[in-house]
Amino acid sequence: MLARIDGLRQRALIAGAGALVLCGLGAFVNPDQFFRSYLIAFVLWNGVALGSLAIKMLHQMTGGAWGLVIGRLLEAASRTFPYTLLLFLPLVFGTKSLYIWSHPEVVGADQALRDKAPYLNTTFFLARAAFYFAVWNGLAYFLSKWSREQDEGGAEPYHTRLQVLSGPGLLLYGFTVTFSSIDWVMSLDPHYSSTIYGILFMGGQGVSALALVITIVVVLGDHEPLKSAITSRHLHDLGKLLFAFIMLWAYFSFSQYLITWSANLPEEIPFYLKRTQGGWQFIAVALLVGHFVLPFALLLSRGTKQNRRLVLGVALFLLFMRLVDIYFLAGPSGHGEGPAALHLHWMDLAAPVAVGGLWLAAFFWQLKQRPLLPAHDPMLEEALEHGR
Amino acid sequence: MEPDQTQIEPLTLGEQRRAELVGPGHSFATVTDKISSIVLTRKTTLGFLGAFTVAFGLAMMLFYTLAYVVVVGVGAFGVNVPVGWGFDIINFVWWIGIGHAGTLISAILLLLRQQWRTSINRFAEAMTLFAVACAALYPIMHTGRPWLAIYWLFPYPNTMGLWPQFRSPLIWDVFAVSTYATVSALFWFVGLIPDLATLRDRATARFARFAYGMLAMGWRGSAMHWHRYETASLLLAGLATPLVVSVHTIVSFDFAVSVLPGWHATIFPPYFVAGAIYSGFAMVMTLAIPLRVVYGLEDFITLRHLQNMAKIILATGLIVAYGYMMEAFTAWYSGNEYERFMILNRLKGPYAVMYWALIACNVIAPQILWFGKLRRNVALLFAMSLVVNVGMWLERYVIIVTSLHRDFLPSSWGLYSGSKWDWSMYIGTIGLFLTLLFLFIRFLPMISIFEMRTILPQAEVKEEGQ
Repeated sequence: MLARIDGLRQRALIAGAGALVLCGLGAFVNPDQFFRSYLIAFVLWNGVALGSLAIKMLHQMTGGAWGLVIGRLLEAASRTFPYTLLLFLPLVFGTKSLYIWSHPEVVGADQALRDKAPYLNTTFFLARAAFYFAVWNGLAYFLSKWSREQDEGGAEPYHTRLQVLSGPGLLLYGFTVTFSSIDWVMSLDPHYSSTIYGILFMGGQGVSALALVITIVVVLGDHEPLKSAITSRHLHDLGKLLFAFIMLWAYFSFSQYLITWSANLPEEIPFYLKRTQGGWQFIAVALLVGHFVLPFALLLSRGTKQNRRLVLGVALFLLFMRLVDIYFLAGPSGHGEGPAALHLHWMDLAAPVAVGGLWLAAFFWQLKQRPLLPAHDPMLEEALEHGR
Repeated sequence: MEPDQTQIEPLTLGEQRRAELVGPGHSFATVTDKISSIVLTRKTTLGFLGAFTVAFGLAMMLFYTLAYVVVVGVGAFGVNVPVGWGFDIINFVWWIGIGHAGTLISAILLLLRQQWRTSINRFAEAMTLFAVACAALYPIMHTGRPWLAIYWLFPYPNTMGLWPQFRSPLIWDVFAVSTYATVSALFWFVGLIPDLATLRDRATARFARFAYGMLAMGWRGSAMHWHRYETASLLLAGLATPLVVSVHTIVSFDFAVSVLPGWHATIFPPYFVAGAIYSGFAMVMTLAIPLRVVYGLEDFITLRHLQNMAKIILATGLIVAYGYMMEAFTAWYSGNEYERFMILNRLKGPYAVMYWALIACNVIAPQILWFGKLRRNVALLFAMSLVVNVGMWLERYVIIVTSLHRDFLPSSWGLYSGSKWDWSMYIGTIGLFLTLLFLFIRFLPMISIFEMRTILPQAEVKEEGQ
């Protein structure tokens, strides 16, 4: 098992480093494009870690067999926040390039942006980012620490402690994800606002995290201890959860679309006007089909959810669709208000590989540190029984 | 979370949790006796008659109001320019929201295999039906000529080529709510059939045997019957699950698709659904706590049930609070002066008292539920559930009235308050709701007998054989 994880880590690292070198070269040629592609890649992979953190905490609150057998995968993913913090650093130098509100001369000439300046300014932006990372690292640290101590010393008092942390932890998660999504993505177009935006990201992160977990479960499923612990029944449960998150994502996205379309207000409708012309309409349709209709139809049947190869395919495809969704939300470059045509750059694909490779390497490194199943969790026996 | 109470034999945590769902010492026979005796042998007490009389009196007040409104016209209500939507829609949304907990308990918790739903699902489903009935009265009555409501509301082919406006969520409401009522009624009735057969077999009075026998539809409890029953309830649960979300989503669209500050917000669908479940669970608790005391059902509706409901109330309450926060933040962030004014008007305008009362009821009060000790204090939970019911009513009041009474044009501003007929209709529907509930408790088993038997420890062996 360890050899398998090491192998995967190495491959991820090589792919990530290779793509990063390419992107580094690209950054010299076209820094604006680099920052944009890199931001999208970062939001995608940081979102996988965030989704894992949230699902881990959700499971601490609700219990259930599904979460115990994947607990260690979620913990390993949520221990990557020190690395995502490092991955965030390049963006610190990109604020000028990415965000039009960071240009004082633009803000000075625009009444709406002047009004928002107490929130949208570089100092506060960076301070908020520091706060988000502090919260995420803190939550992941304690979750992981107490989970380890539970392994070493027995269930109490850690089981209780984990629950006590997870309730407020989920609150903090909701708060930080909302504002980080506003900061990093929504403010690319500083004139646009939508109250559901943060929830849209939470739904998407749930899809990302479950897609990752299902992928890893299938890839490592031929090896002990997962081989005997995770049965098709567990896989079925995970598939159902993924199915639920896909529907949530579609529900949130459709709500935003219908309400915006129906009201047709000048400050909101440009969001969709820009994204339904100049080639962007194909991305919109691809999202509808690929992020909802197709996986929905496939995951509807029990057969798919229990078929390892098929469910792996769906999960990998959804990880890719997450990238497409964030690409869509980031939208046409914010510089210049007029409609811009879709312009796919090679870095839009290279950057996710770079960030993803490095992130996955960190994830596998963390995964190797602990046994893949918790030893003293009071519910573990039942969870394994559930699958038999 | 729970301290170990019994350390006689080591139970796993899951077994402990399940053991807390039913009081100790029960067998299949005692469960059946206990629940069916409430309907069949228990004497109708003076207390019951007294409470029923009050509820029935209020229901009579409702019928008087309805007659008055039909005779005099909808001018009896307090709505006028600029506030054209008042108590009718406030109370419609309030009642519809309350119904959602019943559907969530019966459908979603069934699919999630949550055993604690068992003792509360029956009366929660009944609550849903009665709440939907109360809710439906408002849109029907507000048409002024309710006998023509079907003609106006339902699309049907006609020579004039006249159709309802299909782009309006108000017409989607007609479909959503009627579907919801149908599926809820079916679900409730199908779930009752095995218990009706039990009552048929146990009733001694001739008429009761006949009536329960008719309603039991020939249930004999054969393996084939059970097989079909299980399939039907899973299918109905699958059908009802989207309804938990869709009904209140469409109710939220009634507001959100408009261009009015305070109504037009993309967060409305999930935030309304969460609010509906929040108020619904509060109502389940408001009903469950007196019921378990009066009928001695503490063994079936245990502290574990109340705690679980308290947790759901806390979680959904926090989502609702998140909605308030995002509304306020985005109103500021949008930079739109009308949006900003809307929030300031809520905070400081003529309805500020209601807004702050709503924040106190919906955001601050439920925070006590973080603490396990307080979650086990039944009296406190009861008070909390009442506070949440009030808070959710205030929420709809604030959303509807504050956005309408001051619109874009200061010359058209005005104030609104419900007329005495508005109030008598509102209080009257509470009377109708309680009347139906009293009748339900008196004539039907308020807890599912056969499902309770399946969560007894004795039933555990059979479960594993599956």
